[in-house]
Amino acid sequence: MAGPELFLDSSIRIWVVLPIVFITFLVGVIRHYVTQLLHSDKKVELEQVSDSQVLLRSRILRENGKYLPKQAFAMRKHYFNNAESGFFKKVKRKVIPKNPMTDTSMVTDMMKGNLTNVLPMILIGGWINWAFSGFVTTKVPFPLTLRFKPMLQRGIELLSLDASWVSSASWYFLNVFGLRSMYNLLLGHNNAADQSSIMQDHMTGAAMPVPPDPNKAFKSEWEALEIVNHHWALESVEEELICRDLNFGGMVSRELKTTMF
Amino acid sequence: MASVSELYDVTWEEMRDKLRKWRDENYRNSEQIVDVGEELLNEHASKLGDDIWIIYEQVMIAALDCSRDDLAVSCLQELKRQFPGSHRVKRLAGMRLEALERYEDATKLYDSILQDDPTNTAARKRKMAMLKAQGKSPEAIRDLNEYLEQFVGDQEAWHELSELYINEHDYAKAAFCLEELMMTNPHNHLYCEQYAEVKYTQGGLDNLELSRKYFAQALKLNNRNMRALFGFYMSASHIAASPKVSAKVKKDNVRYAAWAASQINRAYQSIIRKCDRL
Repeated sequence: MAGPELFLDSSIRIWVVLPIVFITFLVGVIRHYVTQLLHSDKKVELEQVSDSQVLLRSRILRENGKYLPKQAFAMRKHYFNNAESGFFKKVKRKVIPKNPMTDTSMVTDMMKGNLTNVLPMILIGGWINWAFSGFVTTKVPFPLTLRFKPMLQRGIELLSLDASWVSSASWYFLNVFGLRSMYNLLLGHNNAADQSSIMQDHMTGAAMPVPPDPNKAFKSEWEALEIVNHHWALESVEEELICRDLNFGGMVSRELKTTMF
Repeated sequence: MASVSELYDVTWEEMRDKLRKWRDENYRNSEQIVDVGEELLNEHASKLGDDIWIIYEQVMIAALDCSRDDLAVSCLQELKRQFPGSHRVKRLAGMRLEALERYEDATKLYDSILQDDPTNTAARKRKMAMLKAQGKSPEAIRDLNEYLEQFVGDQEAWHELSELYINEHDYAKAAFCLEELMMTNPHNHLYCEQYAEVKYTQGGLDNLELSRKYFAQALKLNNRNMRALFGFYMSASHIAASPKVSAKVKKDNVRYAAWAASQINRAYQSIIRKCDRL
């Protein structure tokens, strides 16, 4: 599929490819700091915290219950799962479905998200398209079909040109996604310059530890706990202990640290 | 009075790193912290950068322990200046009031924090600590129970509650708290050992058997836990000496006790040998 190789002017490299990389990178960093400035603290409800801890406790009971005596395990299972008075049966939380239109905090969050992420991308993309148009910037290393031509080769009206040769606008978009790992290196995880993850989850609210419907979580936890049985891990612990001598290595150390430093 | 850096011939970086180590590992050597921290803050404050704020907090709490109200107040003022309206600083101000035994003022302060932020656990814990300091154990137990109903996952709270129950001799409830801790930290030999001790104290054949099992578990998790070894020996011999047990159980327990005794001997022998060599 490869046509004759084009030789590009090396000044394209200096004046187009590298500047676009720098611009994308700097804009990303600026976006990160602006987002941090505009960031408002999410207020957690007491009930949510409490519920998430209860679910955690139930999960731990399922996993580590075998280290408890049978009576203790039965007591806790009964507390959670009893048909009339069990926690998961009795407690029903009021679930207010969060309407995206009317819930003010979500609206402001969405606006902030749009402002800091989508707007700069459109602006800079458009500017690059206008400033660096009319020439081929780079070649993608894999062959593309002709359908990609109008998308990737804006401003270049050559019918016979291979679709692998792309314009600067596509190089810009390539950078936006490619520099994600660079951002991770410099700004740590959870940085706001990471656009692709924001585009993936539309909920600009932070993910709460408890899903928005605690009742469902309670029900699934109840089911999981019902089927767990108690197999005491300490059934034959003495016999296992007795069969060999204890290892006292390192019980007495030679040096005694008495001073501060 | 020679300064710390002269006495031990250390640089300010070493002092700062030592403070960090004490902070990370939760040491409570308040006098040492006050000595090192005070000098660090007086002589080298400008070199510390942003670390200085957490060092202020650490030194302030240590100063309260050593009744150095002057040092505590100066640290608190610096923190208040840098972080006005912060709940964390407010809690420190409350701690200072507690140190001066102005308990009502401290309670008012903590209540104001909780009004602002009902999920603030630090303020609630300070209120309970005040009740304990004033000796009002039953109220402290009641408040701690309410706290734990909402924050079931708070392990240091469970541990504190178990201690309070042990002081009130309510061993059944203390055992419950320790079971919570064992559940969340199944590989911690100290919780197993404490649980076994509580069961042993409760007495009765079932509890003794349970305690023997958990002493054994603690030993399995950490071979060098001498307390657990002694506990294992005592519970096994107690069961063996009891008139109500069957012959098989008696035989088993005599075997366990004999094994424990031989292990204790081995431990002391090894220590004597090591000491002779030193």
